Amino acid sequence: MRHAMMDFLSQNQMYIVLMIVLLIWAGIVWYLTRIDKRLTHLENHSKKG
Amino acid sequence: MKFAKYGSITLITFVLFAGISIPLSPTPQNWLQFPVIPGLEEKARNILYHVPVAWTAVVAFLVSMYYGFRYLKTRDIDYDIKSVSAAGLGFLFCFLATITGALWAKFNWGSFWNWDPRETSIFVLLLIYGAYFALRSALETEEKRAALSAVYSMIAGITVPFFIFVMPRIMSGLHPGAKGDSEGAGPVVQMKMSPNMLVIFLLGLLGFTLLFIWLLNVRVRLARIEYERSTHHE
Repeated sequence: MRHAMMDFLSQNQMYIVLMIVLLIWAGIVWYLTRIDKRLTHLENHSKKG
Repeated sequence: MKFAKYGSITLITFVLFAGISIPLSPTPQNWLQFPVIPGLEEKARNILYHVPVAWTAVVAFLVSMYYGFRYLKTRDIDYDIKSVSAAGLGFLFCFLATITGALWAKFNWGSFWNWDPRETSIFVLLLIYGAYFALRSALETEEKRAALSAVYSMIAGITVPFFIFVMPRIMSGLHPGAKGDSEGAGPVVQMKMSPNMLVIFLLGLLGFTLLFIWLLNVRVRLARIEYERSTHHE
């Protein structure tokens, strides 16, 4: 299974480029969700305070 | 800040679109064709994304060092907020450069990790900045944390140009630009970018730098409010 995927990727290199772009996108999304979480935390505190 | 926001969105969208859609050709005739680089082929497009991310990490670490220096001069906590925010973004981009590089290495050099000088140096940088956050979380008092991490970020920042620009060039390795690369021998690919690829590459560098400025701004504004609230409630 893993071998087949590696073969597929070596023959269809555009998908490697796609995976690299998606990894960077995932990193930016992760950062955004973290900021979102901290904002939610602040909002909840300001409601109580 | 609007410039950084809309500039980064526009530039990165353009680099994604152009970098993916421009076809390869063994004999490029015009601006809408990339040359085929033997050994890289379609994977050559990775350079448009992997390198700007690594570049942004360097910018972020140097910005963190600059604000660390400003903090030590002025003792203004706002510079500490900026310094730690830049270091956090630098770590994120450094990590992204590492994993995108590892994936690319698997298909160009045969394994995810080869301990090439540049792989070693980025690994050391991750350790250095990992220790920076460990140091910060270990210090309770605000002034002490800000002052010590400012000093640390300056020392760490000084090592960045050495690890990124000097060490990988004076040692032989797999990355382009390593020692002996001008011969173009072995698995090392001689990287000569065509003018159209170079323009997209430079726009990518600019786009990701602007993205960093925008994200840094959002993160600093958030941290400022958090800081104000924490001092207000004490």
